[in-house]
Amino acid sequence: MANEENARDRDQGSLAARITTRLRRNPAVGVIGAFLVLFVIFSSLNSSFLSVKNLTGIFTIVSELGIVTIGIAFVMITGEFDLSVSSVYALSGFLFVTLANQINSLLALFVTLAIAVAIGFINGLITVRVRLPSFITTLGMQMFIRGILLAVTGGASVSYHGDRIVPAMFTNIVGQGFRPSHLWFIVITVVFSLILTRTRYGNWVYATGGDREVARAMGVHVDRVKIQNFMISAVLAALSGCIVLTRFKIANAAFGVGMELEAIAAAVIGGTFLTGGYGTIIGAFFGALIMGMMRTGLIMSGAPAYWYQAFVGAILVIAATINLKLHRIEM
Amino acid sequence: MPEQPIVKMVNISKRFGAVQALDRVSLDVNEGEVLGLLGDNGAGKSTLIKILAGIFPPTEGEIYFEGKPVRLSSPKEARELGIETVHQKLSLVDIMTISRNFFLGREPVKKIGPFSFLDKRKMDEECRKVVTQVGVRVRDPNEYVSILSGGERQAISIGRAMYFGARILILDEPMTALSVREQRTVIEEVKNAKAAGAAIIFITHNVYHVYPVADRFVILDKGKKIGEVTKAEVTAEELTEIVAAGSMTGEPEIGS
Repeated sequence: MANEENARDRDQGSLAARITTRLRRNPAVGVIGAFLVLFVIFSSLNSSFLSVKNLTGIFTIVSELGIVTIGIAFVMITGEFDLSVSSVYALSGFLFVTLANQINSLLALFVTLAIAVAIGFINGLITVRVRLPSFITTLGMQMFIRGILLAVTGGASVSYHGDRIVPAMFTNIVGQGFRPSHLWFIVITVVFSLILTRTRYGNWVYATGGDREVARAMGVHVDRVKIQNFMISAVLAALSGCIVLTRFKIANAAFGVGMELEAIAAAVIGGTFLTGGYGTIIGAFFGALIMGMMRTGLIMSGAPAYWYQAFVGAILVIAATINLKLHRIEM
Repeated sequence: MPEQPIVKMVNISKRFGAVQALDRVSLDVNEGEVLGLLGDNGAGKSTLIKILAGIFPPTEGEIYFEGKPVRLSSPKEARELGIETVHQKLSLVDIMTISRNFFLGREPVKKIGPFSFLDKRKMDEECRKVVTQVGVRVRDPNEYVSILSGGERQAISIGRAMYFGARILILDEPMTALSVREQRTVIEEVKNAKAAGAAIIFITHNVYHVYPVADRFVILDKGKKIGEVTKAEVTAEELTEIVAAGSMTGEPEIGS
């Protein structure tokens, strides 16, 4: 009898302990807290912040940045960077319009995404084969693509005259500012979060970034994992580029400049480590949400648009500091 | 007729660029024995077992597993034969949980429709069982590895190797940086593994770490095999002298 009670006590103790450990340790807890605080602040500064139209408007921008951020987070968790996403984003938009003006837009979308996959593959291959830091590989890719895009288009925009299939899939407003892209972002978040936390591949991603040599010794194909993550990052950036395009109906070679740093900032605010091995997709989701909310919230509370960057900078450093401290306490 | 060795490495050479790390080293491992692989730093011990663990291929030489020639081109292939390695620093990822580490590369999955998801429940339960068996006390298999001591890490790594059915257990300097008490834990684990039927290759430069458990010794120096003795033939002091001198005669090499 006494033994059974003891056992039950222990079980309950370990359950409670487990829940608190989970909470304490979940990298997303901090960013969700920060999100809630900022949300309350902006809501109280301007009552129209809470209007459905405004919130859906914010979420439209967040979806585009967020999809890119999820890809960046995957790459960062394996301990690499992808600075080329902003150029892949612009290139894909441009490519998609040009193709969709000639052929079926769905087919144009697939071709565009396939080209992005190839770019991601090249990024990954150069990084793992030449052992070049991905910072350099992808910076080079970023400049290369942007340069070619500017040279070929001469900076002129192209406008969309294609069919309505892809715009309907992504961006046509359903009412109150809701767009299908919102749903895409949520679905992509859930799917990639499941991949990262609940599949063998996800375990390999964490291990590759956590300790490349251990992962290799335990039979993980670390190079393959890295290349695949660069491909994921590129294809998500391309998808986001096509989504933006169907919203604006024009593509320009200058789209997305600086977006790679915004996405990295969002991932870091969401708890992803620059050194790899640690981070969540839910965190990246809320990181992107904070960025988008700040952009609109600051303008609505009367601050000039320039303040956005200053705020992002400050929040980035604060978030990274808090994450680092939490990590030190935990490990 | 003597039993055939479970693993036979024949004339293994390995060059890294201009460096000759191993020069025609042969090594037999017999069923159920503890083989002490000795040598000073840089003798080529780790290189030799990394070849056996499938981390890199030899430049020359053959490996036979149960009499059949094998090519071990990845750690995965070696592990499929039951060659499990506990590397000095290469066994656990610090910033992952114990349970995720335990099954790294061999995660159990359950199918939901066309998708395979990690069987987290099985992972946690099995991992908790083994961790408890090897005498490590943790609240939860979802704790991070970084909270474990060096001895606990080694114990869990050995427990993991045995859980996955190791036939040959390679321990690469398992005692380096461990406290005296933790070294005892590792010795106990080695004995348990031997009792479970595994052949063990125990690599160290410190003869006293392996002498109590070993049956036989192979000594390397500067990439060459300089000797092979059974425990009955030498004392620990003599072995230490051989390792330090780098030759079997017991005399330091002069003017070579």
